Amino acid sequence: MAIYELPEWTALGPALILAVTALALFAFDSISPRSTNRQLLAGTAVAGSLTSLGVAVWFTVAGVGTPTADGGNGVIDPTHGFVVDQLALYFMIIVAVVTALIVVASYDYLVDHAYQAEYYSLVILAATGMSLMAAADSLVTILIALELASLPSYALVAILKDNRGSVEAGLKYFLIGSLSSAIFIYGISLVYGATGHLELAAIAEVVSGETEAGSGHDITEMGGLLGLGILMLIGGFAFKTASVPFHFWAPEAYEGAPAPISAFLSSASKAAGFVVLFRVFTEAFPLGEIGAVIGFDWTVAFIVLAIVTMTLGNFAAATQDSVKRMLAYSSIGHAGYALIGLAGLTADGGELVMGAAMMHLLVYGFMNTGAFLFVALAEHWGVGRTFEDYNGLAAQAPVACAAMAVFMFSLAGIPPFGGFFSKYFLFVGALEAATASTAMLVVAAVLVINSALSLYYYSRLVKAIWIEDPPATRDRLAQPTGLYAAIIVAAVMTIVILPGFGPVVDAALDAAGAVVG
Amino acid sequence: MEGAFSYAPAIAAFPLVAFVVALVFGKWMPKKGAIAGIAATGASLVFSLWMLAAVASGETYHETLYEWTAGEAASEIGADTIGFSFGILIDPLAALMLVIVSLVAFLVHVFSLGYMNAEGETGLPRYYAGLGLFTFSMLSFVYADNLLMAFMFFELVGLCSFLLIGFWFRTRSAPSAAKKAFLVTRFGDYFFLLGVVAIAATFGTLQFAGDESFVAAAEAAIDDGGQLFGFDAETWVTITGLLVLGGVIGKSAQFPLHTWLPDAMEGPTTVSALIHAATMVAAGVYLVARMFGYYALSPTTLAIIAFIGGFTALFAATMGVVKDDVKQVLAYSTISQYGYMMLGLGVGGYVAGVFHLMNHAFFKALLFLGAGAVIVLMHHEQNMWKMGGLKDKAPVTYYTFLAGALALAGIIPFSGFWSKDEILYDALIVGLEEPLIMAAYAMGLLAVFFTGFYTFRMVFLTFHGEPRSEAAEDPHPVGWSIKLPLIVLGILAVVAGIANLAPVAKLANVDITFLEHWLDGEYGGIDEVTYSAYSELLAYETGVISSEQVTVLIAAGLSLLLAFSGAGLAWKLYSDPEPTAHKERLGSAGTVVEDNYYQDEYQVWLAEGVTLPLARVADRFDQTVIDGTVNGVSTASLFGSSWVKRIQTGIVTNYAALLIAGFIALLLGLGVYGGWF
Repeated sequence: MAIYELPEWTALGPALILAVTALALFAFDSISPRSTNRQLLAGTAVAGSLTSLGVAVWFTVAGVGTPTADGGNGVIDPTHGFVVDQLALYFMIIVAVVTALIVVASYDYLVDHAYQAEYYSLVILAATGMSLMAAADSLVTILIALELASLPSYALVAILKDNRGSVEAGLKYFLIGSLSSAIFIYGISLVYGATGHLELAAIAEVVSGETEAGSGHDITEMGGLLGLGILMLIGGFAFKTASVPFHFWAPEAYEGAPAPISAFLSSASKAAGFVVLFRVFTEAFPLGEIGAVIGFDWTVAFIVLAIVTMTLGNFAAATQDSVKRMLAYSSIGHAGYALIGLAGLTADGGELVMGAAMMHLLVYGFMNTGAFLFVALAEHWGVGRTFEDYNGLAAQAPVACAAMAVFMFSLAGIPPFGGFFSKYFLFVGALEAATASTAMLVVAAVLVINSALSLYYYSRLVKAIWIEDPPATRDRLAQPTGLYAAIIVAAVMTIVILPGFGPVVDAALDAAGAVVG
Repeated sequence: MEGAFSYAPAIAAFPLVAFVVALVFGKWMPKKGAIAGIAATGASLVFSLWMLAAVASGETYHETLYEWTAGEAASEIGADTIGFSFGILIDPLAALMLVIVSLVAFLVHVFSLGYMNAEGETGLPRYYAGLGLFTFSMLSFVYADNLLMAFMFFELVGLCSFLLIGFWFRTRSAPSAAKKAFLVTRFGDYFFLLGVVAIAATFGTLQFAGDESFVAAAEAAIDDGGQLFGFDAETWVTITGLLVLGGVIGKSAQFPLHTWLPDAMEGPTTVSALIHAATMVAAGVYLVARMFGYYALSPTTLAIIAFIGGFTALFAATMGVVKDDVKQVLAYSTISQYGYMMLGLGVGGYVAGVFHLMNHAFFKALLFLGAGAVIVLMHHEQNMWKMGGLKDKAPVTYYTFLAGALALAGIIPFSGFWSKDEILYDALIVGLEEPLIMAAYAMGLLAVFFTGFYTFRMVFLTFHGEPRSEAAEDPHPVGWSIKLPLIVLGILAVVAGIANLAPVAKLANVDITFLEHWLDGEYGGIDEVTYSAYSELLAYETGVISSEQVTVLIAAGLSLLLAFSGAGLAWKLYSDPEPTAHKERLGSAGTVVEDNYYQDEYQVWLAEGVTLPLARVADRFDQTVIDGTVNGVSTASLFGSSWVKRIQTGIVTNYAALLIAGFIALLLGLGVYGGWF
């Protein structure tokens, strides 16, 4: 398949397909605002996300981003401010997978719900933003893509207009998001001020001293300024990935939002945040050179953030009563795990640890989405929110509960599920990086301690579902096809990603190697 | 004989198949698995004889069949790889042992038809499955080509022993005896395992034979005069050898780990004959013979082996004197006889030890099966004081039992005499130069008297005199399946001595020491594991009294004299038609002996008085310190959790403040770190 016969802009295909889908949904809603043709709406959204997924996979297999020396088609520069390489495609796949799963699941969740078309188009629009985030390589396009992902998310969190929690969560999310965006934009302007560039590659050239800063000053004189800008960028990304201290929105937003949206935000949105984080820091601020400019390697910041985020997320999750809130905090904890991917980078290596973080995000896309979708199923059943309300569900819905057990154990990192392998690679990668920086030993230790703690609250849920007796008053539970299908696909993927790990490992390591090297 | 050895794995595989068949289909089979067992052990016997013939024609077999793991290693002598494998080593020793084991197993299976099936036992599939698994494990142990494989099957025979002792698991005593056997032998095996690990870590190999063997490596290390793990090479070989010896002492029921064997008589008598007399108990002694080259490198270990052997021979024989249960007498006699074998090996009498191992397997299996026949005759009565007068009512049983008894007592010309005499002769000539060995010899010699006494006490009480119970007056008839094995073993007990008539050879100067030639690899063998190779390694000096012939005569004369006096005393005391007990005459000594020198009591005390308090301390440590730490961690985590949870107040202005505060903290921290200010 000769991809180069296509025009270069088509390399953004996965994102463009999502954009077109979103617009089509908008158009349909404008023409027929009161339509209740749910099949058509959901079907369009599913088709769009699956097509996006298919194209992204096809591009990956066809060798987009693979260096030409290895027989690939090389990195494609579709237009100013975007780049399509292995990293971009890898995360486009994650985004598309999660989108497809939650769209399928939403079909049942949204029964008797107003604003169906808005819902789907907002989801797809947010997905478009996330997909573009994966490919953006200029601070401007990054900002735009990020806001494109964020703004629909705010609306989606608050879409249950009759639900006070949902509206309140939406508002909180919006306020914290605005604050974070302000900090982020300020960071961009500081970086621009220091280097005179917005494109990542150009920034890198200034940082490494190959070209002069736009202002004509020596870049080393502006170390503090650039450092402050970098920290503020970190703030913006920390918001998107729900990392400490920009995580405050997450528990409330995840808890208040419709469960499929919680799944969407905690999996796809987080992954999108991470891809930008990976790209900006590996491309714009090369390790080894950045230290001379700002006085330290930015890995220090990520070591601190990773430790704090892991610990806070897991500790706060341990004693939650509400299942959804527990998952929200666990999601913060997992952001901490993924941050190790940046904390463990070194000037001349770190593909393993970063590849591991990327694998973890992929597996997380299945297991965490699945877990939230199970919560969506429980909300659909109307059984309640707390652990106790979940007691004995397995007796009535064994298949879904088996899937939930898989998600929980995979999240905790128990073999043979996918979550074990990605966490294991993270651990190995952290230990490998410890040869360069002993602080990584602390990170590895904290990872282990937090995993152990996480097993406590994950297994608590499994115990409630499988071991406790169900309350006598519970009615028969329905089996909504869409939700079930999405949950089962997520569970199967959580398990079979293990045999499939060979290609996934290669893809992640290639992608990591491409940006790190 | 070309290609015979490619069938070697089948020898062990047949009983394994029988095990599976008996276990799975036994319930529906006409004889509940007996037929399968007999067929399998019969086939094993035929194949073993074939192997024997192949070795006799000058071939040997040493092949690694399956390497289950291999990798890099850092061994003490510098070998940088180690492999763990299953392999087969068939040399004269192994071939001989294969035949012994499969023959006894076959006969015991046949005997079981009469002893178990005909007596209407339930749970027979389990019984035959156990026998099959045991035979498989034992045969595999015998031709194992490396120490780890030997260890694994050593453990497996121990498991089978446990299962079969506890066959009548509904009684109180059988499960308890099974547990005791398991625990006591396990205690020894613990040292064995340490020895295996130590040898592997030292030499990077566990092979018994060949250039790559640990024996060759140990020899080279001693020649180099280097240090191993901070010890002199020879000292280290002694230490590891003694560790392995721990397993031997447990399995072959040597002092002080002999206490399990008498209790093991709770199992069916057939099991006692096969496992606790002829084969499994022999595994310990066989292991010493198997790695004799290693022990030969360490005179200290050999002396310890000899001394333990001599002491056990005497010690157990004295206890056999006062027992009333026919199986108990035989149990102590077994312990005593294995003591002789250890004595023989310990003084460098490799041929003598193996010779006695073979003879003992035949005559002790015979005696146990004979006792089994008596038990059937007596309607399951085992107390000898309730027997008597069976001589005329069961002539086949009597005469075969008598042949076994004569062999056990060491009366010329029965088989036991020749091998025991050879052991004592070997001990004597070494003892003339080494006082410690002389002491071991003296104990072994004195044990001959007791052996003669308890053997014939048993014969007289059981078969002679007037019947002393209703059962004895009207014995239950026994069938061909009981008589046939007795006859076969009876013949062997009489004639097996021909294999190595060493005294005759020395006196008449004729070359009839066939077993010595066999073990020396003159028909076929592997160079480093032959008798003469071992003899070169031995550091013993030997002496003679005036001349070799005179020494032979003195040794044989002394042991015969003592054997006859023991037997004679038994005749004098117990050959009355109505014999009376003479135990009171022994006074307080008799009580001590009857209570087995309080061996069980002190071992129980060790367990309850020493181990249990230690275990309690460990348990308390676990409960308080370990669990306390774990619980503390969890309490601290949950407390921390509730504290962390409190940050999330739900008020968005707080969030904004905390967010900015966190950001500023990060900024200040990194700013100071990066020197911005």
